[in-house]
Amino acid sequence: MRDVIAVLLAGGVGSRLNILVRHRAKPAVPFGGIYRIIDFTLSNVANSGLAQVAVLTQYKPLSLMDHIGDGSAWDFIGRSRSVKILPPKTGEKDWDWYRGTADAVRQNLEFITARYSKNVLILSGDHVYYMNYADMIRFHRDKKAQVTIAMMKVPWELTDQFGIGIVDEGGRIVDWEEKPAKARSNLASMGIYVFDTDYLVRTLKEVGGDDFGMHIIPRALNEARVYAFPFTGYWRDVGTVQAYWEANLDLLRPSSDLTPEAWQIYTNLEAEGLTYDRPPVQIFPGAQVIKSAISPACIIHGRVENSILSPGVFVGKGAVVRDSVVMHDTRIESEAIVERTIIDKEVVIGAGAVVGQGDRTKANRDWPKHLYSGLTLVGKWAIVPPGARIGTNCIVYPRVDLSHYGQQKILPDGETLKV
Amino acid sequence: MDKVLAMILAGGRVDELSVLTFFRPKSAVPFGGLYRVIDFAMSNLMHSGIERAGVLSQYRPYSLINHLDAGAPWDMVGRKRGVFILPPFKGLQASDWYKGTADAVYQNLDFIDRFDPELVLILSGDHIYRMDYRPLLDFHRRHRADLTVAFTEIRDFTGAHRFGQGEIEDLETHGGPLVSYIEKPQELIYPWASLTIYVFRRPVLEEVLEANAQENSHEFGRDIIPKMLGIYRVFGYKHRGYWGYSRTIEEFWQTNMDLLGPIPKIDLCAWQVRTNLAHRAVRDRQPTVIGARARIENTLFYNGSEILGEVKDSILFPGVKVAEGAIVRNSVLFYDTVVEKGAYLEKTITDAGVIIEAGACLGQGAGPDGPVTVVGRQSRVASGVRIEPGVTIYPHLSPEAFSRKSYGSGEVIQ
Repeated sequence: MRDVIAVLLAGGVGSRLNILVRHRAKPAVPFGGIYRIIDFTLSNVANSGLAQVAVLTQYKPLSLMDHIGDGSAWDFIGRSRSVKILPPKTGEKDWDWYRGTADAVRQNLEFITARYSKNVLILSGDHVYYMNYADMIRFHRDKKAQVTIAMMKVPWELTDQFGIGIVDEGGRIVDWEEKPAKARSNLASMGIYVFDTDYLVRTLKEVGGDDFGMHIIPRALNEARVYAFPFTGYWRDVGTVQAYWEANLDLLRPSSDLTPEAWQIYTNLEAEGLTYDRPPVQIFPGAQVIKSAISPACIIHGRVENSILSPGVFVGKGAVVRDSVVMHDTRIESEAIVERTIIDKEVVIGAGAVVGQGDRTKANRDWPKHLYSGLTLVGKWAIVPPGARIGTNCIVYPRVDLSHYGQQKILPDGETLKV
Repeated sequence: MDKVLAMILAGGRVDELSVLTFFRPKSAVPFGGLYRVIDFAMSNLMHSGIERAGVLSQYRPYSLINHLDAGAPWDMVGRKRGVFILPPFKGLQASDWYKGTADAVYQNLDFIDRFDPELVLILSGDHIYRMDYRPLLDFHRRHRADLTVAFTEIRDFTGAHRFGQGEIEDLETHGGPLVSYIEKPQELIYPWASLTIYVFRRPVLEEVLEANAQENSHEFGRDIIPKMLGIYRVFGYKHRGYWGYSRTIEEFWQTNMDLLGPIPKIDLCAWQVRTNLAHRAVRDRQPTVIGARARIENTLFYNGSEILGEVKDSILFPGVKVAEGAIVRNSVLFYDTVVEKGAYLEKTITDAGVIIEAGACLGQGAGPDGPVTVVGRQSRVASGVRIEPGVTIYPHLSPEAFSRKSYGSGEVIQ
């Protein structure tokens, strides 16, 4: 696999994740307690034996760059092993952001042509799954394909969100529909492509078109051998608040097949820049913890139920955390209640505050498509004052502090508190 | 701090820790759900800004070498930083194992020479404590001492005979001249116990070690300190703060238990300890999952465990599995211990990879004061067997090794 270059598209904004992507790109969003979303793809690359990796960043790349660091957390370190972070650069025009997936690769074609490779593997850093890309590359070579696309069957009602392929008995893709209103197949592209390097370079140089699914693949069908590599197993696009919350809680269901440790998913613990290692979890006398995943350095005096806690979360005496995802170093003070809420890092939920209870049918007024099922978001560094009442389908913006609350300290269902 | 070189005595096996030190020196014994004992000394050095250390190790050093990883976990890799493992070697004339703590340092005087330090800080790698060495070094310099020995106040007199005891003149709050010193007397004579932390002025260290090399016994406590009194400027430094011993199984268990309770005696958040997270792939384990019917209280655990049963007043290392219906109390379970359905553990220490088969019962009725039960690495305790408190089970035993239905207190199963 030394003759394969992996290009990871990590520029996605992921705007449907709302305030979770206000300070970071989607691949950098924390997931499953200790991970970030990109860890799944990066670890799959490492475990597939690939050692030349480019990560294309664009949107708010700082926390992503910190996280990737020198790549040693994924073993991308050695004489011919590396991960290179490629930021967007200005081209002829003053401002030349990537216009799409293919455009992003085209603007970084030099990275590919500057070194020897037979194949280029193109990935996105947005998904939670396990896959051995070496199998896919072998499949590609066995089929003598120029392009291979990893594809999986999705529920028919979701076909309008994907690139859909129609294949013959041999697995060759004979027709393609990009996000069709009425699909002829439910075999959907996962946005994972293997290209013959020559074919990719030639096509991107000669042909316009900024998106693989929209422009490059339909064209390839006419002039090249394009195959579908079938994938089965756990795969989630955690690009919506609802999907993100559900996938996190999948960690607690043994039948869900989400098993990061068995998949050998690695993360970078050094990126936090601490001068010490986070100590073990402390469960104090009188605490109750059931059906939850708990990360190091959590301190628990209260009750935690059906929740995912990232490192350093504090749950005070008499506090209750239920059906929630709580990120690093958030404090839930005594007697506070948190329900069906995703809380970002370093938030303080004051004593006796109640967050996430209310009428679930009342969708968020500003973003009814983001929050509609009775989930609540609290942004990074926000403060919920003692005794406050935050309803459901609510959003509390990052950095909200005491001055942003009214006298009553009540945020009704479906409302958003901004700074 | 680049005028200070640390020498860590980390090689001792110490028989009292029985099966836990069959495959590793005491300094590499796991502690506190995540750490190795030596992490405490290493983290103290790091926080004190002392970033060059020699580690004297002669007993089964693999685990220790692996764990120390040249100092990288403590940021001690660099042009002026480094951790060097110093195993015994064959000399031109003598080929010898270290014959004692003083001999171990003596045989590495050339190593010390190379760094040209002003002061040599000698530590032992077997204690659980937090200490900033800088005030100790300041004290040493302020009094222009040749040797400063650190002491802690003895509160529990029952174990006093195991320590070197010193009489310190109260010159200032931190102590003063060391008036007298007795190594491990039968009873309590002076209420200050040596922490086996020594600061030497380098020329003096060389002088006394050269002289000691001609003799038959080579221990700092027994041979070096008493002979220096009255000849050199020897000072006693009073350290105040938690001090955890791990010299016997009971002490080791108690020191672990000091991490628990409403106000733990060891405050890990404040201590800021670092370890090697790559050792046993600790970093690659997922968050611990707790089951819907689990009961867990007053307990420490790290990543990679699965707790479905009942765990109370215990310490779990990464990868421990406690099945539904199993009960664990007052116990310390090392890496990847599996406690199967219906098994019962009380006041038991299990080494890495131990399997307690369904329905086995260990240490029942020990209470907080009964003897500790210990299970050696990768042993598989047979289903349904009954082990009374205080039994020692050897490593690598298969269930067939348990020929009887029950074993009484004090028995050793091998």
